[in-house]
Amino acid sequence: MRSIRRLSDLEGKEAMSEKILEVKNLETSFRLEEGVVVAVAGVSFDVYKGKTLGIVGESGCGKSVTSLSIMRLIPNPPGKITGGEILYKGKNLLDFDAAAMRKVRGNEISMIFQEPMTSLNPVFTIGNQIIEAIALHQNLSKKECRNKAIEMLKLVGIPSPETRIDDYPHQLSGGMRQRVMIAMALSCNPQVLIADEPTTALDVTIQAQILELLRELQNRVGMAMILITHDLGVVAEVCDEVVVMYAGKVVEQGSVEEIFKNPKHPYTRGLLNSIPTMKKDPTGKVKKTRLETIPGIVPNMLHLPKGCRFQDRCTFVLDACRQAEPELRVIKGDDRLPHAIRCIRDI
Amino acid sequence: MSTQSNDGEILLSVKNLVKRFPIKGGILNREVATVRAVSDVSFDIRKGETLGLVGESGCGKSTLGRSILRLIEPTSGNIFFKGQDITKLGADEMRRLRRRMQIIFQDPYAALNPRMTVEQILSEPLEIHGLAESREAKRKRIFQLMDLVGLRRESISRYPHEFSGGQRQRICIARALAVEPEFIVCDEPVSALDVSIQAQIVNLLQDLQKELGLTYLFIAHDLKVVEHISTRVAVMYLGKIVETAESEVLYENPQHPYTRALLSAIPIPDPTIKKERIILRGDVPSPINPPAGCYFHPRCPIATQKCQEVWPKLYEINGESKIHRAACLYADRKDGPDEGILSSR
Repeated sequence: MRSIRRLSDLEGKEAMSEKILEVKNLETSFRLEEGVVVAVAGVSFDVYKGKTLGIVGESGCGKSVTSLSIMRLIPNPPGKITGGEILYKGKNLLDFDAAAMRKVRGNEISMIFQEPMTSLNPVFTIGNQIIEAIALHQNLSKKECRNKAIEMLKLVGIPSPETRIDDYPHQLSGGMRQRVMIAMALSCNPQVLIADEPTTALDVTIQAQILELLRELQNRVGMAMILITHDLGVVAEVCDEVVVMYAGKVVEQGSVEEIFKNPKHPYTRGLLNSIPTMKKDPTGKVKKTRLETIPGIVPNMLHLPKGCRFQDRCTFVLDACRQAEPELRVIKGDDRLPHAIRCIRDI
Repeated sequence: MSTQSNDGEILLSVKNLVKRFPIKGGILNREVATVRAVSDVSFDIRKGETLGLVGESGCGKSTLGRSILRLIEPTSGNIFFKGQDITKLGADEMRRLRRRMQIIFQDPYAALNPRMTVEQILSEPLEIHGLAESREAKRKRIFQLMDLVGLRRESISRYPHEFSGGQRQRICIARALAVEPEFIVCDEPVSALDVSIQAQIVNLLQDLQKELGLTYLFIAHDLKVVEHISTRVAVMYLGKIVETAESEVLYENPQHPYTRALLSAIPIPDPTIKKERIILRGDVPSPINPPAGCYFHPRCPIATQKCQEVWPKLYEINGESKIHRAACLYADRKDGPDEGILSSR
């Protein structure tokens, strides 16, 4: 009995660590009047089955462009994927034609956007919109599609889904709309779910509901998830691995424990220190210290400095940082989960 | 209602403030319903302190902030600023008083006129209130303000679009400070900013408070920022204050079930901490047709029969050195209500 259980545990682990999505040296540029902006400049990461990868960074760092690139939803012109590979189950999505990509999008890889109000069509009922996705990808009758949609609404915790299915988006609250988005994204049992700031527009109590729901669904369906956010609290609670982006490049990546316990890049440290925390000193009293800040602002993507992109805001900057851009180097861990930083210093 | 505690002079006192918005409809455009945005709110703010006001969207916190400056005319209730009832003042007197009370808005992109340079933006309040005798004096004052909020003097003739979000919020702060106010309502001043910039602005607000002896009403939905900046905190739910206490006390020992749920919902940036989370079911009810009894009872994990019938007043929590109030029948009872909790929970 015991040995059988151990065997199944092992199998479970083996299945969990299956690589499902590989992003290699992705480069996406936008041609603007003022010049070419390379919004994503050589980003690489792996996404594993049943695991959640968090991409964090401030506005304009390229995290959303990365996710839109994976979905091949970059508006062209002005944008274009100019380099790299996106391997989904070993096949490069960048080689797919429009029809093949449509089969992947919403079916194999799904996405939830930040603003549920703008992502839902106000003139169609929510049922209509969920059914559209199901009908497109699955060979089901009208009746079956509707039942499946009701089932999805029930899954995401919408009360009385049989009547709610005929509601229009404006009849629902923000949290409910986000649930509808999730229901739609999950209706075709995707292998990968990309959630772009799924809770940013929501209140904390609703955020907690949605995060709980995503975690629960992931456990049940075993899909991989890419969570894009600027909230490090959310990352700590939901993600297994983290990629920190700055000005279009990955500056640090590793397991969530490593990144939060042992942040090595000055930018990651700055980000973590600028959150007001509820730390207590040894006597149990809440410490109120001045917040640490990262001086300055993100560089203009049209006029990036020579060398490290973070140099002007970094307190550890050396002359060498201004000469050449540092490579991403592994400082700890194995091939499966390396802790890597794009910094020449060991701080 | 009695005052909170004795240390420090009371700068602003709000008594039983109510704001209702009528909803009109039908052919006669009669009032068909009312939104109870703020119902019967009272609190005091002492000189030099920061009162944090938290709550979810739609709870009436911004309406309250604006009503205090009479940017929205309150329906009833009184607001005393340095002992003077400002709800009775005429338009002229009110304008003069606004020199003492200013506001900073959430969205620095929308709060600045895109056609005006920094110089023009900062001149306006000085001119309206007649605070600069000569051109040189005005320029000098503008430079002074720019130094104060950390804007470079060279950028005086730039337009808002040439600045980043954080810089724009600095311009808004400088504009509010131009008339030397004593009291500033900060309505979500950092919510639109990135984390690293957010910290810069929070620090700036704290430095200015120390330097100029300012008093703040700090409205935000980010509980961590509010804890960091506030002396005292008031929690709002559906137009009412449900709990108020010193910041440390409130975060350490929340008494209202809503406050507890709110605090437990904050994600902690530490993956090793797995905390017990109170997940509230459902959404905030509509302020047009709030539930009977305690407004929180449909979502409350410990609601009883009694909660459906009576609205609890703000009860004082005993056994704490500083004043702590919560609007819950079962506040202060560690093991919850002794009556039966509603079976649907």
